This record gives sequence, C-alpha cells and structure tokens, in this order.
Amino acid sequence: MPDMRFAPPNPLRIADRAAGLNATSVRSYNERLLLSLLLQNDGITRLEIGESTGLSAQTVSVLVRSLEQEGLVMKGKVQKGRVGPPTTPVVLNPEGAYSVGISIGSKRAHIVLIDFVGAVRFHATLPNPEPNSKSNHPEFLETIQRALEVLPPGTQDRLAGIGLALPESRSGLTAGKSDPKHRYAALQEEIEKEIGQAVFVQNDITAAAAGESMFGSAKPHADYLYFYLGHELHSRLVLNHQIYNSNSPLSFDIGLGALERLAGGKGLPTEPLWDRADLLLTWENDLIASMRSSITALAQFVEVRTVILSSYIPEDVCQALCAKLGTVLPGVTVIAGKLSPSPKAVGAAGLPFSSRFMVE
Amino acid sequence: MRTVLCFGDSNTHGQVPGGTPLDRYGWTQRWPGVLARELGSKWHVLEEGLSGRTTVRDDPIEGVHKNGRRYLRPCLQSHAPLDLIIIMLGTNDLKARFQQPPSEVAMGIGCLVYDIKELAPGPGGHVPEIMIVAPPPMRDDIKEWESIFSGAQQKSHRLALEFEILADSLEVHFFDAGSVIQCDPLDGFHINAEAHAALGVALASEVVTIGWSDHA
Repeated sequence: MPDMRFAPPNPLRIADRAAGLNATSVRSYNERLLLSLLLQNDGITRLEIGESTGLSAQTVSVLVRSLEQEGLVMKGKVQKGRVGPPTTPVVLNPEGAYSVGISIGSKRAHIVLIDFVGAVRFHATLPNPEPNSKSNHPEFLETIQRALEVLPPGTQDRLAGIGLALPESRSGLTAGKSDPKHRYAALQEEIEKEIGQAVFVQNDITAAAAGESMFGSAKPHADYLYFYLGHELHSRLVLNHQIYNSNSPLSFDIGLGALERLAGGKGLPTEPLWDRADLLLTWENDLIASMRSSITALAQFVEVRTVILSSYIPEDVCQALCAKLGTVLPGVTVIAGKLSPSPKAVGAAGLPFSSRFMVE
Repeated sequence: MRTVLCFGDSNTHGQVPGGTPLDRYGWTQRWPGVLARELGSKWHVLEEGLSGRTTVRDDPIEGVHKNGRRYLRPCLQSHAPLDLIIIMLGTNDLKARFQQPPSEVAMGIGCLVYDIKELAPGPGGHVPEIMIVAPPPMRDDIKEWESIFSGAQQKSHRLALEFEILADSLEVHFFDAGSVIQCDPLDGFHINAEAHAALGVALASEVVTIGWSDHA
C-alpha cells in the first residue's frame, strides 16, 4: 500500500490562489456551511463556527483562510476577552460579492444592487416593463445595466447573479395585454440573454421575508410571523429560519389598494396618502384587525412571539403600525422591517447569494 | 490549564542577531515568553528552541541531534498532554549542505505533523491542535553566513506559500511570521527583541482565535 504521507500535498483542497471568486463548482459543502452561518449572523468566532458545524478547529482554520484569500470573508473587529488577549471574529467582506435584485410589483418595478452584507449600493424604481416596442422595456434593461455599473472597477466577477421576485397571483397586474403569467416567465430569459447573468426567480413575498431574515430585522430571529404590506396584505410563517408555504397566493385585500380605494371613494387624491389622518385611522383599524385575527388563528398551532411587518411605505408610518399592533397583542414583539423602501427587491438580491454560497 | 509547546530553532531559542549561540534574550523578551505573558495564567507555555534545528535532516556537520524529527517524539512524550504545538522551523533546512528546494522543506514539516498526529499527545490521547509558522524570509545580506546558506535567501521567500499549501492539505493552523516581523540586518536571519515581542503578540491572538471552550 502506498504511504500517502509522502505524496505531494493535495492541491484540490486548497483555495484557488488567483484573485477573484472561485468557480461555483468547487464551492465545497463546508465552505457553504460556513458562509451560511456568516450570512445568518453578524460576525462569529471560530469557536462558535466549530460548535455549530461540528467541524474541527483545524478544518475551520483552513476554511477561513481559504475564504479570506478569496476575499469573501475577513477579520472582524477585535473583541476584548474577559481574560487573556482579545479574539478576532470572522465576518463577511462587504465587497466580497454583489448581487442585483429586481421586484415586479402591482405597478412598479424596483431594481437594486446590494453588497455582501445587504447594503444597497444602487436603487431605482420604474413602471413595470412591457414587451411591446412602445413600452419602457429597453429602459428596464438599461436600468439593470446601470446597477451593474455601480460595481467598483475590477470587481465585475464578484457579481453573484440577479434575483427576480415575482408575484404569485398575477391577475391584477397592469402588465400589458399579453397573458401576464407567460409574460413574467419570459422575463427571466430576456434578462439572462440581454445582461448575460444567471437569473434566479422566487415568489416575491417569500423573497422579502428571506431578505429580512438575511439582512434585516429578522436576522436575530429563528421563528416569527412575517407580514408584507403592499397593494394587499400577505403573510409567511417562518419557523427555525424556514419559510413555510412559500408560494402561497393567499392575501387580504386590506393593503394599500384598499386605502387608495378609500381615498378615491371620497374623491380625494391618492397621493400623498400619509397626511390624511382621518382616512388613515379607518384603514389602520381594519388592517390591524386583520393581522390580529391571523395571529390569533395561528396561535392554535404555534406560539407567535415575534411579528415582522415589512413594507415600502414610509418608515414612520410602518413604525406607527407596529406600535399599534403591539398594543393589541400583549406578549408579542412587533418589529418593523428594515429593507424599506424595497424589501422585495433586496430580498430578490439575496437569492443569488443563497444559491451560490449557502447550504440548502 | 492549557499547554502549548513552541518547537523551533535559534529564533525560538532567542539567539541575539549577530551574536553567538551563547547570546540569548531573556525569557520575558523571547517570543514564547511574550506569548506566555499575553495568554495569561490559563496557559502553560513550553519552549523548545534549538539553534541549527532542521525539520527532518541529520546535519552531517553540526550533528544528528539537530534533526527535529529525532527529538520531536521524546519531546512530545515528555510534555504531554499538549493542547497546541507551534512549529516554526525551515530556515536551517536551506543550508547549502542539504541542497533542498522550499517544497522539500515543507515536506519535512509535513513529516513532523504526521508524527504528531500518530503519537496523539493531546488531552485524552487525541491529536492536539497544530500550528505551522512560516519563518520570516532571510535578508539578502547574511554577512559571514553567506557560504553556509548560499542560495538560501531566495528560497526562504517561498517557504510561506509552500507551508500554507501543506497546512491546507493536512488541515492544520498556519501563520506567516513574515506578515508581522523581519529578520535583523545584523546577520540577516535572526530576529531581534522587537520582532520577538511582535511575534509573541501576533501568535497569542492567533492562538486565542482558534477558539477554546472554557471547560477543560
């Protein structure tokens, strides 16, 4: 039997020493495990990595060095120990990877470019693209291109891809005369072809919930009920970081669409909506009653202690809604989402990260 | 209480640059002493630095006792149980008499790692943590040592990469001393008191960053 001790060092287990990201194919399970932990936590020590993965300290050391070499992770801010010298945690390098997120809403499309820790580096909104020649489809593609131009020079290869968040129920969309379902299926191919980047598609509400979990308010929470307040009110249940029934088309027509109808019915302008206190009160009460009944119904099956409310509405309005919901639900912590004003697009941008860097 | 063994050559022994093997820095100046101070009372630091020590080579001139591999086993058994072994060797393997490329020096380090794993001198008979430290590169001007180390200066710059590849492959910790210290110009390959202090502090941070659970 050959003695493996005297064979040359195995180069397969060593990080590619060239600059830039390694090809996806060589991303090992252990590297994904480590990056998943870092995308779920703000900095973590090597001891904690070992404890939560079961990997040995030496294996963690090799993994961290290899990912440092690749520029995906870096040494975090030194933490003073109670005794002995300070310890250095491992954190994601914000400039290690970038991603584009696109969400198609009921009227408007949002396009963002985020870095590896979810900071928004580019943000634009425009009317939903339509396929016919007179539409803004070229402008839509140009805006994606503009987002890519925000990447620092020489870092184009650090783009993980493009995430596309699409609504499940597409009937009510003002998306042109052609069948909307068909229209959005084609959008993925069009972007891939025109921009030359892999496009990852997900349900928009699920993308927004995943975004809050990866970059926003939900980061420290494993279990919570997630509400997305858009044209309608949507919800997702998240248990142990897993999003349940992620393609649910169910929604309640008490969202911003209802508020607009309320305003329209009284012959009031729909914008700005937020300084009409009398109008808001009626709508808010309906909305809160609906969220409360969802939570109460759910309480038969799981104990809900945390609720996250995410929306593109102004932050102060969202905070006020959270406070109001909190007062009618004793024992439940209600937190406003942090990904305003584009939770769906930021969530969509998280998709290429999870596909390329995280374990299933 | 945790125990770390520092296994090295004259730069672990604390030989003063430009001096003789009799000129040695004091305990609090040598990097193992600095490491002990930085790690605090929960760590027991053992120093095993011998001038002229190679990784695995019998020195036909200085004697076979300079071969690190011959001494490693009795040394490990004397000091077991050990939580961590830091190995900083390689410079002496570059002497002209051995005619070795940097990759062969790394292979020598690899032998020591295998010997440690085989002997498993850690707590409970487990394999301890192992940290390979690449020595700082030599300076071009090594004074009267030129004939003994002829051609070594250039090779010494490639030890860090070869050692890191080996550390990745064998899954052990790695640190490049050249990232924090330089050799003293007095003889071009020994480190001075300032470098000992910087290395001790840097290694203490590396040791702590490995992560040690409070129990044990």
